[in-house]
Amino acid sequence: MKSSLASLLTGAVVLGAATMASAHFQMIYTPEMALKQGGQIPLKMVFTHPFDAGYTMDMGTPEEFFVIRTRGENEPVRTDLKEGLKAIEWASLTNTGKAWETTYQARGGDHIFCLIPEPYWEAKEDAYIKQNTKVIVNVGGEPGAWHEPVGLPTEIVPLAKPYDRWTGNVFQGQVLLNGEPVPNAEIEVEYLNHQPLLDSNSFAEEPAVTVPQESFSVQTIFADNNGVFTFGIPRAGWWGFAALDLEEDYTYKDHPCSHDAVIWIQAKDIN
Amino acid sequence: MTVKPFVLAAALLFMTTAAAQAHTPLCSCFDNGDNTITCEGGFSDGSSASGVAMRIQAADGSILMEGAMDADSTYTFTRPAGDFTVLFDAGEGHVIEVPSRNIVL
Repeated sequence: MKSSLASLLTGAVVLGAATMASAHFQMIYTPEMALKQGGQIPLKMVFTHPFDAGYTMDMGTPEEFFVIRTRGENEPVRTDLKEGLKAIEWASLTNTGKAWETTYQARGGDHIFCLIPEPYWEAKEDAYIKQNTKVIVNVGGEPGAWHEPVGLPTEIVPLAKPYDRWTGNVFQGQVLLNGEPVPNAEIEVEYLNHQPLLDSNSFAEEPAVTVPQESFSVQTIFADNNGVFTFGIPRAGWWGFAALDLEEDYTYKDHPCSHDAVIWIQAKDIN
Repeated sequence: MTVKPFVLAAALLFMTTAAAQAHTPLCSCFDNGDNTITCEGGFSDGSSASGVAMRIQAADGSILMEGAMDADSTYTFTRPAGDFTVLFDAGEGHVIEVPSRNIVL
């Protein structure tokens, strides 16, 4: 986190960002994280501003896209999925951006999808953004190693199953950089407020919720000394957590690069 | 009867009961597309189903095949003709029946 003096100095930049209303989030989207039975599932990889279905950034070719399947006490099995990616155009409410899709044949247990994207050049900030992202899909209720680090350079390790949260539960995660906790990491939290429409590769126009004031569209929280953060889940649906700028002095092509970690959860109403 | 063994016995009983409630047996079967079917078994607490008895039952109740979950908690068999039911038998209260119509790709 910047000092208050630094914040003052960069006040103009902060103000500029605030008018954008929501934050960058790398998505790995599939309609259901907790499947009753296996089968073929769609996956869409989109780098966008999910709360307001805002500007969708052009994704480059991912550096890595793979899944780690674990079931019960079995050894984890890693499968590369990069070769199966197909380029698509994803339409948000403001523009259309380059994105990726694939399908995956899911059997039982936990499937930890991991995306290491090519860094995105954010000209406005004269810097790159690289959001290493995880989504965990469970089939049939048999757990695997959802709670173990995959070993991504930046990673959020869930401390509760990201696919079994009721509305009103908390979600906790631990932010890691190269396997070590990141004390006081800054995390942005955003609700997937526009339904992704998989047939048309776009977001629904109508938002699920409206905000009383701009602070609510992207919420900022901080991890504790062990890199652990806690978030109470107020509504069913997808919630994204982006831990920002975890590696000081991280660069890409001789420019600063914000080295982020993203995880998504899907909460359900209890009734 | 002294108090101590009674307490121990009660504690043991409690633990057994708790364990039974904390894990639910799970079994799903998948069509491998090559005329074989693989069933994956386990428990909701993530524990292994290795060694659990497996039976394939015909519609008339006769047993077509018998075996056990392997080290990876899977059981693969050749698809029999007609309708059948897969029985995952981890003991009383821990039996799962998978009808052939529920077997997916």
